[in-house]
Amino acid sequence: MKTQTETVTERSLPSFSISRHGLFIFLCLLPALLLVTVFIYYPLFKGVVMAFQSYSLFDLSNIEFIGLENFKTVMADSAFKESLINSFYWVFFSLLPQFLIGFIVALLLRRKFRGRGIYQAFIFFPWAMSGFLIGLIWRWMLNGQAGVINDLLIKLNIIDTAIPFLADPTWAMVSVIVANVWYGITFFAIMILAALQSIPDELYEAAKIDGANYIQQLFKVTIPYILPTLIVTTLLRVIWILNFPDLIYSLTNGGPAGSTHILSTFMLEKLIYGQNYGQAAAVGVILIFILLFFSIFYLLATKFNKAGDF
Amino acid sequence: MLYLKKGFVIFVLVMTFLGIIAGCSSTTNKSVSKDGTIKLRMVESITSPARTKLLRGMLDKFEKENKKIKVELISPPLQSADDKINQMLMAKEDIDVLEVREQTVKNFSNNKFIVDLSPYTNKWENWNTLTETIKHGATAVDNKPYYIPYGVYEKTLFYRKDWFQEAGLEVPKTWDDLVNAAIKLTDPAKNRYGYSFRGGAGSPDYIEFMTWSYLGKKINPKDAYFTQDGKVIFDTPEAKQVLDTLVKLYKKASPPDSISWSYPEMVQGFTSGMTAMLIQDPEVIVTSEENMKKGTWATAPIPKGTPSGVAQQPAGTAGWGIGAFSKHKDAAWKLVSFLSSPEENLFFAKNNSLIPIHLSAGDDPYFKEGYFSSYIEMNAKPDEFLIADRPVEYKGYADYRAFAVKDIQSLLLGKMSEEQALAKWTDFWKKEKENKK
Repeated sequence: MKTQTETVTERSLPSFSISRHGLFIFLCLLPALLLVTVFIYYPLFKGVVMAFQSYSLFDLSNIEFIGLENFKTVMADSAFKESLINSFYWVFFSLLPQFLIGFIVALLLRRKFRGRGIYQAFIFFPWAMSGFLIGLIWRWMLNGQAGVINDLLIKLNIIDTAIPFLADPTWAMVSVIVANVWYGITFFAIMILAALQSIPDELYEAAKIDGANYIQQLFKVTIPYILPTLIVTTLLRVIWILNFPDLIYSLTNGGPAGSTHILSTFMLEKLIYGQNYGQAAAVGVILIFILLFFSIFYLLATKFNKAGDF
Repeated sequence: MLYLKKGFVIFVLVMTFLGIIAGCSSTTNKSVSKDGTIKLRMVESITSPARTKLLRGMLDKFEKENKKIKVELISPPLQSADDKINQMLMAKEDIDVLEVREQTVKNFSNNKFIVDLSPYTNKWENWNTLTETIKHGATAVDNKPYYIPYGVYEKTLFYRKDWFQEAGLEVPKTWDDLVNAAIKLTDPAKNRYGYSFRGGAGSPDYIEFMTWSYLGKKINPKDAYFTQDGKVIFDTPEAKQVLDTLVKLYKKASPPDSISWSYPEMVQGFTSGMTAMLIQDPEVIVTSEENMKKGTWATAPIPKGTPSGVAQQPAGTAGWGIGAFSKHKDAAWKLVSFLSSPEENLFFAKNNSLIPIHLSAGDDPYFKEGYFSSYIEMNAKPDEFLIADRPVEYKGYADYRAFAVKDIQSLLLGKMSEEQALAKWTDFWKKEKENKK
């Protein structure tokens, strides 16, 4: 037990002191903190350091700091510029349809109808699959000679000759985006549906009494109410779409001729085929900065603070 | 209470750190059990379920003969196996035996991941019965045996015997013959194409051996991306001929999708009856035997270049090496020498569709006749079918193989001209040569 004086002296210590309760909380958090440090922050730090080193698998005994050399080499590469532009197309044209269709699906699922549970399960199914697997499935479906999609289009008399979906640069980009849209709709549908279910029915009743039609209800009640969710899910999705290489990697591997490379698959290529960890890390650092600036800009532009707390 | 608190803090910290340390070093001192049994760890790279089973069977036999040694076989998925091995070695794990390949041996020896086996091979009775190609492969880096190959991967021509007979065509002997035959056999309406083209990962290998074939003896055998007079091989009229041939072959006689084809699609294209010709490694023999009717297909030596009149390709070898961080190197050698003995190797090569490593295998009817005979034929004419080494000693080789895939696709799509591609590769290799000096 502490005496009165001990307590007093403890209080008179400089302001940097942790209460017993605080210490207990800290100790409880410590294991998690250590794990996160070891498995997330250390690799992240190591990755950033690598970006400034001549880190190549060819000769690990000779690793030196080479300043911005990796960044210069990477940025001078025309394939990097192409990946950067592709990344923009990839994110924009994947996100927009995902969001719109996901929103519509969520609105449709909000109403109760028979078999909604089963229907919901079917809609949400793609989300449970790995992007790699989805890439492989689409790769066979889109196959120019033996693919089911070409076969169907020919049998329906829509086209005469098979479309080389994965062999033509433009079609290849369209193909990966279509696969990604198919994959990502579910994410928006789940998140938006959860937000929709939190809107109190009274609001709609009040709107109806005021004579608002469906469209007016949508824009005056539904969207303002779930705006924070919309902003956060869109932001998360942008980060994921840009970061995840799995779908493109297994579907086209960036080909043909780099026409479907985005920054993250370009990075993987540097790593797996080029075996140059330093340059791959440099691409990774650039990617982090792009996402960081985008996030700040996006949150400022959407006046996120005013949209309510989330 | 204050003391108790401190004690508690220390306790938690110690436990957490112990936990982390234990998690990181779970393999220490487990390799020898109480009764003196040694446990070896072996990692394979070119994995497949069938091969892993085969290898496990051989290891069981080894364990029966050596009661005091147990072998744990680690088989990462094929796609990422080499990365996995690299990571294990970078973490200094005590791997005893590992699969070393022509493409990885330089990395591994540079980084001191594997040991020089000459102390063992000097005393090994079977060293002298190895074929020249195998000895050459084993000692490719620094003239030291860093691994004992278990077989050779050399390319051969697979063709549809029935289609050729039907069309009254001769089996191609040169690349020009091949292109002509391929065009004649192509009929997109029937979904039939002349050639299983490789446009995806690995396509630079085809440029490589075709350019060597066209240049013939003009290349420097010790430094095969350069000619005898010091030019880059891509800085020659022959290299232009190669690209002309390839573009023609793709545009007129290959499935459009093959611009992104790599190993599985090429093989599938041939075995499923879409393409008439395929140039691939011997393991396709087993795949074709399983999937195609007997008599519909056959193998032949790879086509020759014009005007050189020779064919020239790398002899890809893969085999078993000993990890630098192994604690039981002698036991590991026991295992490597067991796997590399004439009997065991013949068994492995037969079941894995490979060219065996010992001279004695040439007498075996399985290799003398049948689908492997094209290899025996190529081996019998060393003046017409030459072997060249890949430039694995150059740091930029991996990088070149990565970007050349893209360049080849750009070329086929018409986004890059042949001259541009050749100039780019020439510049790259000139710089590589300068940097190496």
